[in-house]
Amino acid sequence: MKTLFTIAGGEIQLWRRTRVAVLAVSAFAIVLVVSCLLTAQRMNHAAEERTRQQTTAEETFLAQPERHPHRMVHYGHYAFRPPPPLSIVDPGVDATTGQSIFLEGHRQNTAMFSDARASADLGGLGSLTPALVYQFLLPLLLIAIGHGVMVREREARTLGPLLAQGVTGRQLYAGKSLALLGVAAVMLVPMLLLSAYGVLQGEHLAASLGLFGIYAAYALVWCSAVALVSTLAETRGVALGVLASLWLASTLVVPPLAVATTGVAVPSEGKALSDLRMQAELRALGDGHNAADPAFAQLRANLLAQYHVEDVADLPINIRGVVAQSSEASLTELMNRYAEERMALELRQSSRAALFGWLSPTIAVSSASRTVAGTDLETHHRFLRETEALRFAFVQGLNQVHAEKLAYSDDINRSRDAESERRTRVSTENWRVLESFRFEPDPAKLRWSRASTDSLPLLVWLGVFIGLGVISSGRVKP
Amino acid sequence: MKGLARELGFLLRDRGLLLSLVVAAAAAAVAVLLGMMEVEQQRATIAELLEADRVEREVVQAAQEDWGGAAYYTFHLTVDEPTDFTFAALGQRDVSPWKHRIRMLALEGQIYESDAGNPDFALIGRFDFAFVVSLLAPLLLILLLHDVRSSERAAGRHEWLSATSGNDHSPWRTRSGIKVALLTSCLLLPLWIGGLASGSGAADLASASLLTALHLLFWWGVCSLIEGRGWNSSVNLVAACGVWLLLAVITPAAIQAVVDASIPLPDGGDIVLTQREAVNGAWDLPKEATMEPFIDRHPEWADHVEISRPFEWKWYYAFQQVGDQQAEELSLAFRDGRKQRESLAGTLSWLSPPALLERTLQRAAQTDGRSALEYEERVRRYHAELRAWYYPKLFPELPFDQGLLAEVPDFSD
Repeated sequence: MKTLFTIAGGEIQLWRRTRVAVLAVSAFAIVLVVSCLLTAQRMNHAAEERTRQQTTAEETFLAQPERHPHRMVHYGHYAFRPPPPLSIVDPGVDATTGQSIFLEGHRQNTAMFSDARASADLGGLGSLTPALVYQFLLPLLLIAIGHGVMVREREARTLGPLLAQGVTGRQLYAGKSLALLGVAAVMLVPMLLLSAYGVLQGEHLAASLGLFGIYAAYALVWCSAVALVSTLAETRGVALGVLASLWLASTLVVPPLAVATTGVAVPSEGKALSDLRMQAELRALGDGHNAADPAFAQLRANLLAQYHVEDVADLPINIRGVVAQSSEASLTELMNRYAEERMALELRQSSRAALFGWLSPTIAVSSASRTVAGTDLETHHRFLRETEALRFAFVQGLNQVHAEKLAYSDDINRSRDAESERRTRVSTENWRVLESFRFEPDPAKLRWSRASTDSLPLLVWLGVFIGLGVISSGRVKP
Repeated sequence: MKGLARELGFLLRDRGLLLSLVVAAAAAAVAVLLGMMEVEQQRATIAELLEADRVEREVVQAAQEDWGGAAYYTFHLTVDEPTDFTFAALGQRDVSPWKHRIRMLALEGQIYESDAGNPDFALIGRFDFAFVVSLLAPLLLILLLHDVRSSERAAGRHEWLSATSGNDHSPWRTRSGIKVALLTSCLLLPLWIGGLASGSGAADLASASLLTALHLLFWWGVCSLIEGRGWNSSVNLVAACGVWLLLAVITPAAIQAVVDASIPLPDGGDIVLTQREAVNGAWDLPKEATMEPFIDRHPEWADHVEISRPFEWKWYYAFQQVGDQQAEELSLAFRDGRKQRESLAGTLSWLSPPALLERTLQRAAQTDGRSALEYEERVRRYHAELRAWYYPKLFPELPFDQGLLAEVPDFSD
């Protein structure tokens, strides 16, 4: 054991004396710290802002004056998705999806105002979040300083003397790996701090530790890859070339390639087209604004029979409200079916792209990271589902008020007669049908179970690299 | 000339070089092919949309009994068609919508809806030609050039080679020049094939080629400066990759952060909230409160704004318009802000050649942020055309004529 620490200590001493290594580590540390601070500040601000907007939206709705309940159905409501605490590490799809959604009767709207649309696009890899720094730059740092760990001894012809002194190849490999791990561990300190900060902001400990663990595993994958290639390579140049190509493939080539091929193989048709398809199906359901629409004949007949009356005007309830309720229910069922189809397609695309994690540890770590941070596509889908439930609940609550608290005769005359119009305005207490909405991340356990498929390739890569490293280091010859 | 032939002979036996060239050509070819397939799919989606929209509109219009209802129930499709060069740079098309259905209600409540693609995809970005030449190609060039001199130095041939050639620099310059030229050709060949197959304009292809070549020349300069320091190959490679990181990754991200911070935008939510309050508040206000600001904007209908019943369509559309008018200031600030961000980003992108190249290619392909804004402006103009078509029927209360609905302006006109 002591030998290992001596070897590792020697290696670190060497790096401390090498200008390139010191420069690389310092540059990385600066970029990392800046990205942590900027991202934390940005996401905290967004979280506060959107929580405030949500409260304001609810207060505004409740403060509306007396009016016809159907007007409130169209007045609608806004729901906001505050970023979860761990978004300070990985904002994920927060920037590419809208963050607020307008909820109204008869329609499912899309989320609006994504940052990606509003901010300047400079190409490159996008904004430097801690997630991106760890996923892209940490491996590069490990390669830059570590590619020579083993092969250097061979090139400098010090490998023979070392082995002759009784140090085994495996000890050498383990000691050098330990030095690399030390560097990685120091670089992971900001991640640990961010995770701890996440816990202070109300994140589950398991999720925070999990996120740290995922990045630690990713760093281990690269440490073991660097040590392995350095053990196998004949010269430093070869080691560097091979590792640079691996990095290039894993971070820069495979991810966008996964996206582009999946986009072509599993095309999404988008909401406009799926809306149009739905319209055709919708026409059969009838227009909920028009109680005389033939599509509601059955409903009308049932009501008349139920209350033993001849004319809808004699019903104890307002048939317009009943029709509105019934049509909203069937419409929502249809809209949800199409929305679920679109979401299923997006998930199919994303999980197909995630399969490329077997080719690129970067894809594996980035999907797992978004999932555990609670900034993944599935969480956004849950936001869409929960806001839809919120929409349906308040719209139906208002429709019930429409059916029970408004006289039918006033309702049909309100466009012509100002007195009837006045009587169709219901009191503001009725606006309390709106439930308060706070979007929360999934329980840590659920996020974990989703992330396990994504992170599996990481563990396999790690096992393979370490296994090969141990085998090949046992056979090193000067 | 003789030196050139000699170097070419050496290089063609260099397996590392051949591998890099194959990788470059393959990357460019795959990028071009995937880009073309994506554009093909977007075209197919648009064709399907146009057809579905036509059918839908005919059914809806046939059921109408008055102008107000026709305007309320009819949706109109707008699309931002890909151009014949879009395949090379798909740009913002994953983030910004290129298809949108609108109707003649308040536009501010509709225009920000975004029917965009998979957010995961938008996050990662696509493997297109612009990506290959702006981000990957410099790295391939660095891999090719980092050891032109240092490998010979390590092999002990550096002085000998320098001495046997005419001047001190020529063998290295020739050798590097050939490598740069070969790499450029391997990247551009697939672009030209794809461009010819897609019917791209020669000007687009030529300027894209020129810019790509200039970009690679820039990186050749970077590599030469580093090589000239006389370090060993590994240090050269690390240093060149460091420059790449700085220029291709960190600078663009920093520019983006600076641009976003220095040009704040009004909160989008405030625009739609203002519009919503204006539109919904109108129901509780006296009719004049709506009709007066409406007449300010449309004095030509001043004689037709007498509203006698609790609900009339012309009042309804007047308050939709007034809703837009009240949100106008915020909306303009939001649009201006985005335009300013775009133009500042354009200026600052000169600090990062890769970002400059990518943006220029996206501009040529009409897939950049500015094109997305232009599409939004086109949708706004079209919405104004719809109003201009319906108002002369709604306000003078012309009798409804089913047949005229076929003449409602189309977005494509």
